[in-house]
Amino acid sequence: MTEKPIISLRNVTKTFKNGAITALQNVSFDVREGEFLSLVGPSGCGKTTLLRVINGLIDIDAGDVLSLGRTPEPGPDLAMVFQSARLLPWLTVSGNIEFVLELRGMGRSERKERAIALLGAVGLRDFADAYAHELSGGMQQRIGLARALAVEPKVLLMDEPFAALDAMTREVLRRELYEMWSRRKMTIVFVTHDIDEAILLSQTIVLLKPRPGRVDGIVSIDLPEPRFAVDPRTYPQFAQYRSHIWQRIQDMAREGTKLEELAGAFPKDDL
Amino acid sequence: MSLEQNETVAAPAPIARRRPVALGPAAILALQAAVVIAIIVGMFALNAAAGKLVMPKPTEVLDQSIKLWSDGTMLKALGESVTVIALGFLFSAVSGILLGVLLGGNRLLSRVFDPFVNALNSTPGAAFIPLIIVWFGLYTEAKIVVVWNAALFPILINTAAGIANANRDLVEMGRAFGAKRAMLFWRIMVPDALPSILSGLRIGAAISTVGTVIAELTMAQSGLGGLLAAAGNRFQMDRYFAVVIVLMALGTALTALLRYAERRLGRWRVVQGEGS
Repeated sequence: MTEKPIISLRNVTKTFKNGAITALQNVSFDVREGEFLSLVGPSGCGKTTLLRVINGLIDIDAGDVLSLGRTPEPGPDLAMVFQSARLLPWLTVSGNIEFVLELRGMGRSERKERAIALLGAVGLRDFADAYAHELSGGMQQRIGLARALAVEPKVLLMDEPFAALDAMTREVLRRELYEMWSRRKMTIVFVTHDIDEAILLSQTIVLLKPRPGRVDGIVSIDLPEPRFAVDPRTYPQFAQYRSHIWQRIQDMAREGTKLEELAGAFPKDDL
Repeated sequence: MSLEQNETVAAPAPIARRRPVALGPAAILALQAAVVIAIIVGMFALNAAAGKLVMPKPTEVLDQSIKLWSDGTMLKALGESVTVIALGFLFSAVSGILLGVLLGGNRLLSRVFDPFVNALNSTPGAAFIPLIIVWFGLYTEAKIVVVWNAALFPILINTAAGIANANRDLVEMGRAFGAKRAMLFWRIMVPDALPSILSGLRIGAAISTVGTVIAELTMAQSGLGGLLAAAGNRFQMDRYFAVVIVLMALGTALTALLRYAERRLGRWRVVQGEGS
């Protein structure tokens, strides 16, 4: 990679509880500008912690992180989408978007106008005055995404944004996200534990292994474009990527305790 | 009656009222009317059996009510009591919310003052009446201090708890989008604490009514509490019951008013279920 990465991590180490738990150990990778990169791994591999490190929500103990060429600091250039939409329940949909526009420093009248225009653009104009609890989970997540896009971020950080949705909504939103990315070519760092989802959406997959969180490998994904012209799962390459990553995850599991061994911890006499 | 009902309720009470499947609102109303009739009949029966000192005739209570209302005695007493309740509640609400915001938002302050707040909250409000009499006298201003002292702590504690327990996910969302401390506090943590603050206010209002009557009974007799004491001391039980009915109505109206405010302002929280 010759071009300068937009996000770069070098030997990042992060511990919790005064060093008792190592969440990340010597994690290094780069994110290129305009790249769709996924962080994939089983639970306990520090995916979400990594995203918070990139955003600047938490500090690291050792190593170097640069987001947008500087020490990361939370703000509208690095917008977050969470697993639950995290809309402020006392504000309307439009109010939630105005809230982040205000953080961006936009004037009052301009905020209102822009929020409505943005909701119109994503087909949610009718819901501008609704409260979050009046909307379905998929709709809420769409608004979480619209809120992140409203601040015109340079990087979109997504923390398992579709994990809590039903399978069909998830399928639709994946496609919409991919098509939006194809058009706008913004940088996306996407956390997921779903192998299929990572292959469907990413250019690059960073595989993480757990306890402590480390990089297991980096996989470049090359699928025919436009990806969603047909179900991408039918591409032969998809199956190859999938079996490769599946094997890596099986290998990771071998390093840990097996369920069978856990079951053996209980002497039979006690049962 | 005592002043020590300062229970702390963090979550708002559910609004939905239990309704039996088979009975409609009209049937419920009919049953409630039957209960009222049963009480009246019971009063007549007790009066006939044990005499008017134990239980006045409901018709005599009605006569006294009409008399007290028409000669202005009741209205004057109600005015005095409402003044004490309203001012005492207002002062305790303002100071309780301000102090609660301070303690809920500042970990150091809350850790230092927590035992003192708990100690004061656990002391029955009536325990301070002698001190308040020495400091402030026996009249309206002293009664307002009694009410303020009793209602302050449930409001303070609920406000502080609401802010300290503000939804972490929402706060993190605000931080991720670049909100600074003041913005996080006033625009996310305080609104998130609103239902809890309103619960505190509702408890505070109930205690204000209790505190007012106790102050009126034990300090210079005035207001509805004063009428109550005067009638009771002269064994005028019909007159006494006429005042009790007004107190019941006043307490019910006050609670209903605050429930209404709670429902309006906390609307999003009631339906919301989980903080998603």
